[in-house]
Amino acid sequence: MTGYLIRRIAQSVVVVFGVVLLTFILTKIIPGGAARAALGPKATPLKIQVYNDQHHYNVSIYQQFWIYIWQIVRHGSLGYSDKYNQSVRSLIDERIPKTLVLVGLSTIFALIVAIPLGVLQVVRRNKPVDYIVTGASFVGYAMPAFLLGELLILWFALDLHWFSFEAPQSNSVWGELSDPRALVLPIFSLAVLTIAGFSRYMRSSMMEALTEDYIRTARAKGASPRRVLYRHALRNALIPIITLLGLTLPAIIGGAIITETVFNYPGMGLLTTNAATQNDVPLLIGTTFVAAIATVIGNLIADLLYAVVDPRVRYA
Amino acid sequence: MQSVGSGTRAIRGLGVLAAAAIVVLTLAACGGGGSSSGSNTTSSGTAVKGGTAYFAEGTQAAPNYIFPFAPLQYFSTTNFQDFINLMYRPLYWFGQGAGPNLNLSLSLANAPQYSNGGKTIKITMKNYKWSNGESVTAQDVLFWMNLMKVEKLNWAGYAAGTIPDDLSSVTASGNTVTFQLKSTANSNWYTYNELSQITPLPMAWDVTKAGQKPALCGTAEWSQVQVAGSKVTPNSAAAKSCSAVYSYLTGQAKHLSSYASNPIWAIVDGPFRLTHFDTSGNVTMVPNKKYSGPVKPKLAKFVELPFTSDSAEFNALAAGKVDVGILPPTDITSNATTTGTCGIKPGANNPRLAANYNLVAGNAWQANYFPENFNSTGNGGQAGKLFQQLYFRQAFQILVDQPAYISHIDHGYGVPTYGPVPVCPTNSFAASELKLGNPYAYNPGKAKQLLTSHGWTVKPGGTSVCANAAKCGVAAGTKLDVNLQYVGGSPFEDQLMQSQKSSWAQAGIHVSLSTGTFDTVLGNAVPCDSSSSNCSWQMENWGGGWIFSPDYYPSGEDLFQTGASSNSGSYSDKKMDSLIHGSTVGNETLDEYGVYGAQQLPVVWQPITLTANEINKKLQGVTPINALTNINPENWYFTK
Repeated sequence: MTGYLIRRIAQSVVVVFGVVLLTFILTKIIPGGAARAALGPKATPLKIQVYNDQHHYNVSIYQQFWIYIWQIVRHGSLGYSDKYNQSVRSLIDERIPKTLVLVGLSTIFALIVAIPLGVLQVVRRNKPVDYIVTGASFVGYAMPAFLLGELLILWFALDLHWFSFEAPQSNSVWGELSDPRALVLPIFSLAVLTIAGFSRYMRSSMMEALTEDYIRTARAKGASPRRVLYRHALRNALIPIITLLGLTLPAIIGGAIITETVFNYPGMGLLTTNAATQNDVPLLIGTTFVAAIATVIGNLIADLLYAVVDPRVRYA
Repeated sequence: MQSVGSGTRAIRGLGVLAAAAIVVLTLAACGGGGSSSGSNTTSSGTAVKGGTAYFAEGTQAAPNYIFPFAPLQYFSTTNFQDFINLMYRPLYWFGQGAGPNLNLSLSLANAPQYSNGGKTIKITMKNYKWSNGESVTAQDVLFWMNLMKVEKLNWAGYAAGTIPDDLSSVTASGNTVTFQLKSTANSNWYTYNELSQITPLPMAWDVTKAGQKPALCGTAEWSQVQVAGSKVTPNSAAAKSCSAVYSYLTGQAKHLSSYASNPIWAIVDGPFRLTHFDTSGNVTMVPNKKYSGPVKPKLAKFVELPFTSDSAEFNALAAGKVDVGILPPTDITSNATTTGTCGIKPGANNPRLAANYNLVAGNAWQANYFPENFNSTGNGGQAGKLFQQLYFRQAFQILVDQPAYISHIDHGYGVPTYGPVPVCPTNSFAASELKLGNPYAYNPGKAKQLLTSHGWTVKPGGTSVCANAAKCGVAAGTKLDVNLQYVGGSPFEDQLMQSQKSSWAQAGIHVSLSTGTFDTVLGNAVPCDSSSSNCSWQMENWGGGWIFSPDYYPSGEDLFQTGASSNSGSYSDKKMDSLIHGSTVGNETLDEYGVYGAQQLPVVWQPITLTANEINKKLQGVTPINALTNINPENWYFTK
């Protein structure tokens, strides 16, 4: 297991380095340049030259990359965003907790709803409940996030005044959690999509598990239906969900651009999108770096959890 | 399936989990902090002192810089007009009513006195006070000038040859500061474009470390501040001191989260001081009790709120959480109508906002255009030659139906641009241009006739071809096929560009549209020589043309003078150069320049989209909306 872990971590370092290198090169190919993007239409050649000098954009791409890597290794610095007048690291440090609250809570909520729903559909297979949940899942899956968000705001915030029209505006995690009324709509709108997906996975996974030999054996040994469902079928049916969850980690870190936009919640999604559209090179590379790390960690966690939930899986 | 069917109880157990999650959400709905109620429908009443006015920042444009001596990347409306200027007043305030004129009432000094043929300028300070009790003196102006001398490359408004390069000396004595220019300058131009860049700095900022003794920059004489070379290297103790002070203050300006607590930024001479600032863009200000200006704030608090999108801002307006905001174009439900040349009467307000808000059209001090590259090597080397032909530029402009685009695309919230000097809002600079009106009113027949008479075989809906090189000014057989790149992502800009494309097609001018990001378009639209490899671009539209700030005098030396750095299309015309020279160095007004620019079409003039502002009916003093986008919350007050 230790050997496996070391090998996977070494692979991850190579993957992350490759992603950063590729992103770095791509940002240099984009026409226009970071100076123009930052300085706007009033940028004179002199101002562009000064800006490029101050940001080391006048040296070769190799030197720029070396400076960037050296900053990370030596100072833990991911560069500075002129668009925000903040270091990339402080921006990411500030946005990740916000995103974790929003996407993390919505994922937990989605799991709490989706797993029972998936099981319910199997138990009530081909009955009205199954059809209704399936239909609702398809609607939820097909519904554009911005439309759902706007409709929820219109009905539940502006017309009924049940919830806030925007997500919590506090800059601290505690501040956000202490405003649950403002968390309801963004979490719900984000969860609808996830519930739809997870419940479909759960339904098919559960159906497959219930046809396995060990289920028949358990029943033959006189296990109660409750025990068969919970102890034997559900545990095995959760394996694909664990994979899915592992792969969800980059999304949890990466944020939810539409929901953040509609609910006035500046998280990682908006930060990453703005970095790309505004050619904010240091921020773009920084957010990509974090997303790459989240992806490899998510995959690693999923692989390790396999071994926990499935005794047949052993890593050498 | 017996076992599955008999698992009902098990399902009930699982169902409890799902139900619990929903219950948690429902309970959350009942508890938690509630939002305040919206505003009522009263439109007039008794003025009351106090209250908190909530102001919506531009979408995804939260303030992020506090030091008034800012580099170009931080020189924005959000940072200056909405934030810095409320705390640190510029020497001269521009913007009176809706217009851009010098506002002496809100300025820190009396009107500049020009003498010696315009080479000497005396400025008398009005004895404003900083919040720490010190006076705003001539020395504070010199502090700024010393800083500008050393750090001009880091100042947003700097252009080679202009302030401070054009000064031979600056002296402060008592409450008078005297500028000695190296050569004569037009007094209007100098006041509006050069003196407009100065913001007096408090002596308490003349430090290189918190709590340290004052540095030399604030008290040094102009002549003691010496710099050398094109990189402006400090060459004297005073200059080195200025450089150190700049580094310190810039460093402090990078700590956004400490803006409200840093004692440096607490010393203000404007009507407000900062009490809360966070990196998300939430800003709270309270009145500066020592403000010396003519109008003291009546509000108890002025709060700025950040928004991630237009729709988020609209929702805040609909919920009554914002007192002054902008109605997103997609939510405009009724067209505005034009009254006179510049008047815009808003249509009915959005039904969700009508009860609480008044709708008011904004103003802009701007010339909207996109450049044609006069040196373009595109279209087989013929594109640049084509753009150099006045008849072509006339035909092209004649097919731009600005009033129709304003009416149909901008919902009436717009004003046309017909020349380089903005006609709206009504101002003293554009008298002749105003009389001229639109020299190239929409007329497809005339456009076709212009092309035909210059040797083109016009193919409406197709691509016209040059049949007579001598008349066309381009090689025979050249197709009237040009490229235009614009900034994509806005449905309004897409609509505007597609409408114009259809219009140009009526005269057989085939325009190939493409989109790019803002920086790609800007990156392409740089002046170039036809011998260089990057000169194939033809037309680039970054959407906005030129906003006259801090160069409030729309004299065009940056835009259309031969070789000017922002003359993207490399337009060059001796008469234009002479007119620009006359209005910046000589004593000419902008009249002839404005008319000539309108007739000569150095660029393709485009309509200006104006904002539709929503103002709480209980909040007074907000209008008129100033064209320079200055806000004066010290004038705002609530009514009962």
